[in-house]
Order: sequence, then structure tokens, then C-alpha cells
Amino acid sequence: MDLMYRFANRLCGEPDAAQDLVQETFLNAYRGFKKFRGDAQISTWLYTIASRACLRMRRRRKGAPERELSLDEFIPTSEGEFRLQIPVDGLSPEEALQNKELRQALDAAIDKLPKKYKMVLVLRDMEGLGAKEVGIIMGLNERAVKSRLHRARLFVRRELSARGITDATDAHDHERLK
Amino acid sequence: MAKRGAPRRGKRPATKPPQHGKGRCLHILRELSAYIDDELSGDICQEIRRHLGACPNCEDFVASLRQTVSLCRHSPAPALSSADRAFMREKILQTARAR
Repeated sequence: MDLMYRFANRLCGEPDAAQDLVQETFLNAYRGFKKFRGDAQISTWLYTIASRACLRMRRRRKGAPERELSLDEFIPTSEGEFRLQIPVDGLSPEEALQNKELRQALDAAIDKLPKKYKMVLVLRDMEGLGAKEVGIIMGLNERAVKSRLHRARLFVRRELSARGITDATDAHDHERLK
Repeated sequence: MAKRGAPRRGKRPATKPPQHGKGRCLHILRELSAYIDDELSGDICQEIRRHLGACPNCEDFVASLRQTVSLCRHSPAPALSSADRAFMREKILQTARAR
């Protein structure tokens, strides 16, 4: 349940919706257990059910079609866009993420992704699954998974770059915690 | 992406001029996730490294993409409290029994 909650929370971005998604996932798994052939890991099967439930829930809430991300939109057009304007230099990712503003900016950037790109990013880069497994979960071939992942990463990179976090005090909270 | 070092007419460029055209940078941009994930052949990796050595903007770009991926990978995972876990388990069981 913890695994599914973590995934659901990362997909939905809010605890209540995540709990609804976990509930929906386990009920669908309960109903469909006879169809589980055992040729995939049970976690892959649960991720698949959760992903489908999430897309269904999204369709119920919003009717607008998801937009496609084009590589062209991620080409920097000005000098400041090549680097991240955030305080990460010399810090490990764990240390950098102690900056609340950075965490919020990262969450907001991921949350802004169209769902099908967000799902790939969450499964691959946050849940740590391989491209093949993500393909099984989302019904895509590996090439499509990699293409979506690349666009999703470029999107988040651009959002972080555009945002600009300059609050160095918060960035060094970890120093005070030592 | 070759913009940063582009030579200006009649003036000596302030930064090192690019050894290539914009098309090369776009070609590299398409491959960067595969490059970061170490999925490319040695020849292509070497070609990209050579390009990055000559194009400071692409070098900055790939560093920023690497940082982005690293932040995503290390983003803290939200956890369920034991009370929420028990509540959800009960709710799921109740709904399953009712159906």
C-alpha cells in the first residue's frame, strides 16, 4: 500500500486524491485478480492499474485534451536559459532539496506536466523503474517511453530555469541543522 | 544553442566561437537524455563530448539537465502515516465487501 500511495501522491500531487487513487487501484486489483497471469511482477501490475485509474479520474475531472510537448519549445532563446537559476552548485541533491522553495518549484514543475509525460517521469526518474517496465505499464514501446521521458525532463528543466530561486538563506538550512 | 559564442560582424567575439552550426546543437539536444542515462554507443558519446567541449552553452545545458534529473531522483517520497494506512485499509475492505 505504501508503494502505491507514494506513486499516487507523486501523480496526483495531493494526499486526498492520492488516497482515492490507492483505493480505486486496490479495488480494481481485487476485482481483476483472476486475470493476473503472474507473468509480470505484482508491483508492475499494480502500477498499471493505478496508471489507468489515474487517467480515468483525470478524464472525469477535465475534458480538455492533453497537449503534446515538442522538442522545439525547449530550445533556449536567451543567455540566461542555459543554466538552472537555482542554488545547487556544490550541493548534493539531498542537500539542495532541503531548500523548501526549490522543493516547491520542482513539485510545481512536475505538476504542470501533461499527465502522460508526468506518468513516465514519475515512473522512470522518481520510482526508479526501467524503460521496459514503464512501457509495459503504459502500453508503450521503449522508444516512446524514452521520447516522452526526454520531453518531460526538458520541460521540468525549463520550468526550473525560468523560475529562478535566489534565496540562499533557505538553501543553506542544512548547515544550521548540522 | 550556439548563440552564446556567435561572432559579431566587425568585432572580435567575447567568448570562444562555436565550431559548428545551430543544427549540431539541436541534434545533440535530441540525444541528451540517452547520453545522461548512458544508453548511447561509445562513438556517439565521444562525438557528444567533443561537441560539449566546444560549445559552452550545450555544456551548461547538459549540466542543468543532469541536475534536474538528479533532483527528480532524490525528491523526497511522501509517506503514509500508520493511522492513514489503517484507515485506508479498512475503507478498501469495507468497499470490497459491499460490492
